[in-house]
Amino acid sequence: MSETPEQSQDTRRRWLLSAPAILTILLFAAGPLIVVLLFSFMERGDYGGVKFGQFSTEGWLSVIYTKDIFDDSLVFADANLAIFWRSLKLSLMTMSGALLVGFPTAYFIATRPAKSRNIWLFLITIPFWTNLLVRTFAIMDLIRNTGHINNILIGIGVIDEPIQMLFTDGAVLFGLIYVYLPLMVLPIYASLEKLDLRLVEAGYDLYANRAQVLRHVILPSCRPGIIAGCILVFIPSIGAYVTPRVLGGGKNMMMGNFIELQFGQGRNWPLGSALSMTLLFIVMILLIVYVRQDGKKGETDGH
Amino acid sequence: MKSETDFTQPSVAAEGVVKKFGTFTALKRVDLTINQNEFFTLLGPSGCGKTTLLRLIAGFESPTEGEIKLMGENIATLPPFKRPINTVFQNYALFPHMTVSENIGFGLKMLGKPRAEIAARVKEMLALVQLEAFAKRRTGQLSGGQQQRVALARALAPSPRVLLLDEPLSALDYKLRKEMQVELKRLQTETGITFIFVTHDQEEALTMSDRIAVLSAGEVLQVGDARAIYDRPADRFVADFIGEANFIAGTIESRDGAQHRVTLDGATLSATGDVDVAPGTAVTLMIRPEHVQVSTEASANALPARLERTVFLGTDTHYYLRLHNGEPFIAREQNRSAATAPLEPGADVYIVVDPQSARLLKD
Ligand SMILES: Nc1ncnc2c1ncn2[C@@H]1O[C@H](COP(=O)(O)OP(=O)(O)OP(=O)(O)O)[C@@H](O)[C@H]1O
Ligand SMILES: [Mg+2]
Repeated sequence: MSETPEQSQDTRRRWLLSAPAILTILLFAAGPLIVVLLFSFMERGDYGGVKFGQFSTEGWLSVIYTKDIFDDSLVFADANLAIFWRSLKLSLMTMSGALLVGFPTAYFIATRPAKSRNIWLFLITIPFWTNLLVRTFAIMDLIRNTGHINNILIGIGVIDEPIQMLFTDGAVLFGLIYVYLPLMVLPIYASLEKLDLRLVEAGYDLYANRAQVLRHVILPSCRPGIIAGCILVFIPSIGAYVTPRVLGGGKNMMMGNFIELQFGQGRNWPLGSALSMTLLFIVMILLIVYVRQDGKKGETDGH
Repeated sequence: MKSETDFTQPSVAAEGVVKKFGTFTALKRVDLTINQNEFFTLLGPSGCGKTTLLRLIAGFESPTEGEIKLMGENIATLPPFKRPINTVFQNYALFPHMTVSENIGFGLKMLGKPRAEIAARVKEMLALVQLEAFAKRRTGQLSGGQQQRVALARALAPSPRVLLLDEPLSALDYKLRKEMQVELKRLQTETGITFIFVTHDQEEALTMSDRIAVLSAGEVLQVGDARAIYDRPADRFVADFIGEANFIAGTIESRDGAQHRVTLDGATLSATGDVDVAPGTAVTLMIRPEHVQVSTEASANALPARLERTVFLGTDTHYYLRLHNGEPFIAREQNRSAATAPLEPGADVYIVVDPQSARLLKD
């Protein structure tokens, strides 16, 4: 196909105009990812880092296998898989927990008079103003064995011995839900606010009681908000670092901590890179599966 | 829902219903009885409280004072989902995440009816509103008229005792509106359900209703059939709101039953009205433009006037007249023959009114 001079000039101009955007994406999104990918295929350096130009699949192998220290045979790395599983489990539970707390919260705010809604939203976002680390340590201060909750419970005589709450999966879960709750509330609120209240009335008019209206009218209408909230909570919690580190202690690691370990004490950058990529793939696969399913559901609904 | 039907009871009754929103009174003591199987219309200008009254009947609001009764029973404490009353909403309010079929079946599903029964009923309803081909469509992909019919089918599917329709035709174009008017009337007759229909279109009200209630500023001004409202309006507002009317000030001269002699502007007219006023009282006469004849010859029961403008409209001729006291008067005559030419402007003429058409109004 031959282009007229104007057309080719037009094309050139378009490329020039989009160049900053493309450059930004290459530099800040694709670039680092490519570096991580390359590192995952290199020989580990003796004091951290990698040996440039020395190809190795060691990093990837160690994601799932570990070398037996006696005869160098490969065995399944149960510990790694346990960490994957814990991350997945905790982030799914965080997502569900945040949804259970977040939906009623968003519903409450959306049904307030227009004037007071902004105040409620403002209250929801206040925790964001302080540093994540500070907030997490505050939780720690509440739940540790000599913390406020245990002190009060012992003080009023409910228990004799402090309850071990810190350094448990429960503590991590609680911390994650607390930290990511606003990410669930805000998108659900946005879709609830757009909800046509006349649809709710139509539901009541057609013999649906409160629970049925919630299930058949309100929930389906704010599905996009719920989905957005779930994704926004799930993704950062599966890679969470600070919360499991502070509230989970050294033993209850999640993938974020495990990856950090490889780049720090473990001095195994290729493994760390491979783990990072694995995390990326897990999230990507889950999202793809999810989007596929959602699309199918839409089709059978007669979309 | 009671199964046995007591035909002596009115379908819906409002007794001394007052509705206040804060300090604003939307309904001031409304008393209405709507019979079973009736096509009842609430007619009134925007903001007069029509929707408010429907919402009280549906149960979305509760009255500040008074009672709403369904088949003689006070339903004030029943939530909307326990009232055998369905609504066709002003904006349809169809569920966007459901198909046409799912929308129509929603009420029955919530009532816990078996699937087979729901499917059969939905099919029946689709046929009734002629939307069989659209069963699987999303409601967002329908035209306004189709959405309106889905809303109607959805409200009719659970076979309610009473159907409330809040200006369901206002969003449709003229032709479709005419068709739907006929359709609605047919549905009402066939199903035997009480229809309470809200509109601010007087023509629509006259075409469809068994009875009409005219509302203004939260009050019921008159209840009656189309002829009663049009020919015997209770007051000036009703006369003015429905159709066109000339209003002339006059004084009662004498009275014989419902017949009154009224002097106005030097002339004397016979007029009809149930007003009980002594001779010498000032009154208002209401005369419809199409109820008079404009003539060049003087006769009994005629008002002298000057013809200012003649507008020939093919089927009709409109005469713009001025009475001797300076008040304007409009007359409309049908052109029954090509042989007679309309009167020329500038002529001194007489407006001939028969006594039944000159209506005395309370002031
Ligand atoms: N929830 C409410 N709060 C305060 N005022 C209200 C409320 N609902 C209605 N009103 C007022 O009550 C009056 C009657 O309203 P309504 O909706 O019944 O009018 P309508 O006759 O249906 O008018 P339209 O023909 O425009 O639909 C209006 O003045 C309206 O502003
Ligand atoms: Mg209205």
